[in-house]
Amino acid sequence: MSISQKNKAPYPPGDFGIWVIIYIELITFALLFIGYAFARRLDVELFNQSQLLLDQRAGFINTLILITSSYFVVKAIESIKTLELKKASALTSKWLLGAIILGSSFIVIKIMEFSDKAEQGINLSTNTFFMFYILLTAFHFMHVILGLIVLFIIYKKTKNQTYTQENHLGMETGASYWHLVDLLWIVLFPLVYILR
Amino acid sequence: MIQYIWLILIALTLFAFLLGWLELMSSVMVIILLITTFIKGQLVIDYFMGLKNTHLKYRLIPTLWLTVVVSLIALAYFFPAN
Repeated sequence: MSISQKNKAPYPPGDFGIWVIIYIELITFALLFIGYAFARRLDVELFNQSQLLLDQRAGFINTLILITSSYFVVKAIESIKTLELKKASALTSKWLLGAIILGSSFIVIKIMEFSDKAEQGINLSTNTFFMFYILLTAFHFMHVILGLIVLFIIYKKTKNQTYTQENHLGMETGASYWHLVDLLWIVLFPLVYILR
Repeated sequence: MIQYIWLILIALTLFAFLLGWLELMSSVMVIILLITTFIKGQLVIDYFMGLKNTHLKYRLIPTLWLTVVVSLIALAYFFPAN
């Protein structure tokens, strides 16, 4: 084994089970992304016209929110790994609370977007573009809600000083799921809101 | 280090938004948009998910996923049916 191989961590951070879930989620969303791209290929004009009804600013702000929230979670993990327990718990919970507030803002903006579309009479059967738009974003929305629940549980445990420098597997597991939510949106935003 | 990754992700997101907002989309810009999307995804995989220093097989799965998804989006975009 080479020196560089010896220095590498054998497994990804968090529980191994979460990575099985992450890989399955990636495949599921890949099918939806590719489905969208190839459905667009069949009727480019319809997709371009329908896309004009989306609020690119909302999509942009939500991307910034998820990236920053993910960054806060990375900082939380960094704190728990490097600081002594009392200081680590205080700082880590602040980072996590910041991530939760940002994630909740994403939810609020998305609900406003969904309400706006509903007011315009847009639903799953409006056309192929909106079928994919609603399916993709609503499915992702559910993942954000689940991610927020996980982050909240981690936050409460951190406040109770459950996680330490040596024992923070649960926190890494939840963090990995939250980064998945971010990764999926990073592909979804340019595909659905920008590409035309 | 991690704050620079965050800043790059923010800058590339702003770039993507401006492409759409200023209606600058063209074939060349679509290629650039997809490349920047790949870069953003890979940065999240490496530095946020923390896969950069794990064994290659674990890093390869999401990287391959990203490659396949971005490539097929490009294929569908550049070869429309009508």
